[in-house]
Amino acid sequence: MVELFVLIVKVIFVMNLALGLGSLCTWLERKGSALIQDRVGANRAGAFIVSANPVINVLLAPVRMMGWLGVIGTFMCDPMKGIWKEDFIPEGASKFLHGLAPIVAVLPIMLAFAVLPLAPDFYAWGYYIHPRVAPIDAGLLFVLAMGSVAVYGIAIAGWTGNNTFSLLGSLRAVAQMISYELPMGMVFVALIVVYGTLDVYNIVEGQQELLWGVIPKWGIVMQPVGFVILLLAGMAETKRGPFDLPEAESELTAGYFTEYSGMKFLLFWLGEFAEIALFALLLALLFFGGWDIPWVTLPKGVWWAALLGHMVLMAKVVFFCVLQIVIRWTLPRFRYDQLMNLGWKMLLPISIANLVVTAVAKVML
Amino acid sequence: MSFIGFVLSAVAVASALGVVIFRNPLTSAFSLIINLLAMAGLYAAMGAHFLAVTQVVVYAGAIMVLVLFVLMLLNLKFESKRRFGIFRTAVAVAAGVLMFATIVPPIMAHFDTLSTFTLSENMTKSEGSVKAIGTELYGRYMVQFELSSLVLLIGVVGAVMLAKRKTSQIGPRDGAAGGAQ
Repeated sequence: MVELFVLIVKVIFVMNLALGLGSLCTWLERKGSALIQDRVGANRAGAFIVSANPVINVLLAPVRMMGWLGVIGTFMCDPMKGIWKEDFIPEGASKFLHGLAPIVAVLPIMLAFAVLPLAPDFYAWGYYIHPRVAPIDAGLLFVLAMGSVAVYGIAIAGWTGNNTFSLLGSLRAVAQMISYELPMGMVFVALIVVYGTLDVYNIVEGQQELLWGVIPKWGIVMQPVGFVILLLAGMAETKRGPFDLPEAESELTAGYFTEYSGMKFLLFWLGEFAEIALFALLLALLFFGGWDIPWVTLPKGVWWAALLGHMVLMAKVVFFCVLQIVIRWTLPRFRYDQLMNLGWKMLLPISIANLVVTAVAKVML
Repeated sequence: MSFIGFVLSAVAVASALGVVIFRNPLTSAFSLIINLLAMAGLYAAMGAHFLAVTQVVVYAGAIMVLVLFVLMLLNLKFESKRRFGIFRTAVAVAAGVLMFATIVPPIMAHFDTLSTFTLSENMTKSEGSVKAIGTELYGRYMVQFELSSLVLLIGVVGAVMLAKRKTSQIGPRDGAAGGAQ
């Protein structure tokens, strides 16, 4: 009974974390892109609320502040608009598949959060709690599997759009995602070789130690090449940054979700932003020690240490979300042949070489 | 556990039938994906997480994406009804019966364990199924494992050869202008 209760609490927490990080990224993207392009960004909704009563007027000041910051516009007005907008289904498209596509695109990303640890294990009221929903031993592979299942959402979306732009966008997206999954998998294998485990929790625990007693044994220290490859492959996997060919506005209107409107359209965006957050979480867990603070040893199994660890992890996650958004709004788009060359002729051979070198070093040392 | 197992089995059988019955090739492909995911669910319900995840990564995640890709690019319409000769039908039926007869005896021999959807004790040891599979694969089944990788290599080489022959047919066939472009 208690196990079930704990599980439900964990599911609600992780679900809210995934959705919350996704919406946070939406806001960061809107305001961040405005900052980078020297605009103001979303600042209308709720910014002009005034009351005749001076007391209420003072109390409304935080609301006005949030309005100026675009928080109300992004978190409340846009979803409301999405819900009330007409849900348009193109003629000749299968209604079922048209509705299925955004769900298939979002659901695997949410599921991938289930296997990732969010804090160190701790004791609470005599129970030992793992802060993750599904502690399976092949956690890293599960994330990869969910990433490849999310491809179907995009493939179906492009197909049911009944539109050349949609189909071209989805073909580009599918080709890009399956190409960049290979170097990503190779980096994961190299990490598995280094830390000797498939379990993400144990990989993070392995990074808590110090190398030669000085440098923290983080993934970035052990696998610097792997980090660069994963950063590039992950940005291609999220179809963003310089790799946003599947939704290139100037060429394909909106790519695979051209024929989507209302909440289905927003679901695709939510999936994309949740994927950014998932990828940031992966980078923080695999390469930046997760909840590790360098040269600081926190007591194990204490609730406040777990809470502090969670906050440290989330700070790292937000940092990587911001990094991805800054890259996306700074660099120009690749050409398609450049994208494929980068994936197959550069990243894949380098990642395989990296794996071989890592394996040899692991056996020799 | 066995309730989930039966539900997933029903889904797997229904989607497997769908692969054969649906006339639209894309719908058939989607049925196959559902079938593979149901099989992965069965593995996961039995506690073989690694096998389940590998099933999703390899079959649902890579192979079926490529199949779907090809189907979408070819833009196939509904399959037209084709009539097969009596010889072909006989061969097909015989192959089906033979296959069925090969599969049924081992299933019946282990029916009592299979019907509860549980794995034997030494497969769900606390060691973790990844380690168990690894030691089996690189220990007892080393030769078979290497042979299957050889088969895959032959497949890759064959695909490259087929692709090469096609381009040389398109280009000029006499050797004089072979390397001009």
